[in-house]
Amino acid sequence: MRSLLKKIFGTLAQKPWETDQAAIDANHSGQTFNLSNQMSAVIIIFGVSSVLFSLIFTGYLYSLPPGQDTTFILKTNLLWINTLVLILVTYFFDKIRRDFNNNLTNKIRKNLIVVGALSYLFLLLQLLLWYQLMLDGNYVSTNTYFSSFYFFTALHGVHLLGGLFFWGKVTSKLFKLDEKDYKNEKKNINALSVYWLFLFIVWFFFFAIMFFYNDAVLAWCKSLIS
Amino acid sequence: MSDELENKSGYQAQSSETVNEYSGSAVGDVDYVRPAEVSDQDLYHGHSFITKWVFCQDAKVIGVQYFLTAVFTGIVGLILSWLMRLQLGFPGLAGFMTAEHYYQFVTMHGMIMVVYFLTALFLGGFGNYLIPLMVGARDMVFPYVNMISFWMFFVAVAVLMASFFVPGGPTGSGWTLYPPQAILEGTPGSGAGILLMLISLSLFVIGFTMGGLNYLITVLQARTRGMTLMRMPLTVWGIFTATVLAMLAFPALLVSSIMMTLDKVLETSFFMPTIIKAGEVLGYGGGSPILFQHLFWFFGHPEVYIVALPAFGIVSDLISVHSRKNIFGYRMMVWAIVGIGALSFFVWAHHMYVSGMNPWFGFFFATTTLIIAVPTAMKVYNWILTLWRGNIRINTVMLWCLGFIVTFVNGGITGIFLGNVSVDVPLSDTYFVVAHFHMVMGIAPLMVIMGAVYHWFPLVAGRILDEGLGKWHFWITFLGAYSIYFPMHYLGFIGVPRRYFEMYDSPYMTSGVGLNEFISLAAFIVGAAQFILIYNIIKTLKTGKLAGKNPWQANSLEWQTSTVPPEHGNFGEKLPVVHRWPYDFSVPGAKDDFIPQTVPPSEVIDTEVEKT
Repeated sequence: MRSLLKKIFGTLAQKPWETDQAAIDANHSGQTFNLSNQMSAVIIIFGVSSVLFSLIFTGYLYSLPPGQDTTFILKTNLLWINTLVLILVTYFFDKIRRDFNNNLTNKIRKNLIVVGALSYLFLLLQLLLWYQLMLDGNYVSTNTYFSSFYFFTALHGVHLLGGLFFWGKVTSKLFKLDEKDYKNEKKNINALSVYWLFLFIVWFFFFAIMFFYNDAVLAWCKSLIS
Repeated sequence: MSDELENKSGYQAQSSETVNEYSGSAVGDVDYVRPAEVSDQDLYHGHSFITKWVFCQDAKVIGVQYFLTAVFTGIVGLILSWLMRLQLGFPGLAGFMTAEHYYQFVTMHGMIMVVYFLTALFLGGFGNYLIPLMVGARDMVFPYVNMISFWMFFVAVAVLMASFFVPGGPTGSGWTLYPPQAILEGTPGSGAGILLMLISLSLFVIGFTMGGLNYLITVLQARTRGMTLMRMPLTVWGIFTATVLAMLAFPALLVSSIMMTLDKVLETSFFMPTIIKAGEVLGYGGGSPILFQHLFWFFGHPEVYIVALPAFGIVSDLISVHSRKNIFGYRMMVWAIVGIGALSFFVWAHHMYVSGMNPWFGFFFATTTLIIAVPTAMKVYNWILTLWRGNIRINTVMLWCLGFIVTFVNGGITGIFLGNVSVDVPLSDTYFVVAHFHMVMGIAPLMVIMGAVYHWFPLVAGRILDEGLGKWHFWITFLGAYSIYFPMHYLGFIGVPRRYFEMYDSPYMTSGVGLNEFISLAAFIVGAAQFILIYNIIKTLKTGKLAGKNPWQANSLEWQTSTVPPEHGNFGEKLPVVHRWPYDFSVPGAKDDFIPQTVPPSEVIDTEVEKT
């Protein structure tokens, strides 16, 4: 972070019209960060989606119904299982990334399939969780607590589906390649692995908020913004 | 189609030898530039009409598509404003106009002009056309995604326009779409109208995100060699920063649109409190309408700067080129753009002073609102100091720029009034507010758009727009706009409320009746004057003077292309190499009064750039 800030403020302090600066600028490649376009895209999507999810969290905190048991959803075992599945997906994707960087290409195809399968399993379990909630009479319109839960998980699922679309493209391409040509897909794999990590981070925040925010904390937060 | 797909060859990678031959041979050479390290971009060149002009991946064509679609929506917005002014100036003259129609026109006019016209035109239109050209790139980094971005926008516009034709008509809840009234019966268009509006907005945001991703990565990662961030024209800085704002602010619009759609369709209560209607308790409860206001204005205020920052950047470049002087305080201008962008996220609640917020909250937002005037004023001073002792060309472009400065200062000053809670509260919901925001984010950015059209039309079409018609266009618009909005401030002072279909016999309105008639007549004339530009464009395309290369003698890269108008890929065989910033005008010792960014130092020895 310090180097990023230094880079930003250092850049803004340049005097491009001066001869000394011109000599330095002549050596500039035209690229600001040493990142692939794919990775840059994932980082920007990370930023945009973080705002999106933060606003949903804010809305959740802002309009929780009084007397609602805020840990209700955590009491269903499925949410814990889903979290475990997501951790596993993130682990496997990171393993693929590390294998790529260490040129250990023999297990990449298998691990990519595992990632896809676990991701679809996660989505299936989410649907099962919704079904379970609805059987208990907790629908999307029951109150704002459940509305926020359904809304958040749906948007998270949409993000995951978007990732799975690109996972499908990259995986199918990889299956057509010889092992020695896998390196062509390195940028895509790195970017996707970071995207899956992002999906886990968002989920982790959601889980933490559900877990830690009790009525007392919420009352304090509301007093700040009302 | 398959033949076209096979044609995805693009430009070949340049070898380092080629680069050295082009740019000098060794470090230490005055003309040294870093050798190319990455391969050139593969481009998909369409050949059929469909792939070249409809589903096209060339950012320039996409920019023109955005521009034309935005102008179409702008004309719809203009016609709606005429109908509103007809009712306000001459109540009852338009027999078909009911109160419901009036509210629907107000709503659609506001949303169309802010989102579908100004935002789409600045970011989608100018952003697509200018970013790759100005940073020395062949195209956007993800051309396919860029194409999808436009078509999402197109569908969003189609969905929005469809709302005119559904039962109940478009939403009439005001452009801010405040719940609960926006989705409850009794508000015009509370059925399909509001749903189509919300769906359209969601599509717009998703489409824009695809485009924004391209703008940001192209600016950050795909510039040509030698093009540092601080050598970029201020136009690119403005569009880039506005895109960052949009990427962070539009999610709030998306979230609130989806939540309100769910409130309408699935009867959730994100924004809906307990409501009793005609003695009957509705199914809603527990939600907060104020939450919507926070979300809406968290998008809505940065939106002002999403429109303003590209305008700031563009006008800086136009003033510099047409006054033949380097922009005064380039670094300060960049800092101000970035600073305004950052501050714009801390001022949103000044739109909500009358929502019953905690006074300390109001105090905080009044302070941040007034602080934003500092970097904004810096920019105004710098524009004026750029003009100071410049070799000013009083052409149509410059007239629009001067018109912008005056109008922006006017609108900015009334903004300082409204930024203060104690002044805002009595003026809230009066025509003073309407006059303020039309001056600052309607007329002022529009003047920049017009200046930019006259400036870059020769690049797009290869011909120069008629100057005489351009000046008529400017003076009618400029004088007409002041005839509309100066009296409107007065109407606000005497307490005339906005969003009223008719004033009936209100005693305090008697002095306003004549003014309203005058304003309406001026509005009809100003609106009609815009068709001078359309006529000028058609006439110029047929018989206009050929522009040749670089007709304004500008320095930035878009004027250094191999052909005018630029072909797909922009720069022919080799990408340009940048040797200087884009503001070397009237440099002492130089042969010409401009030195393009591509001119190496060895060609302009004995020159000394003025310190700024």
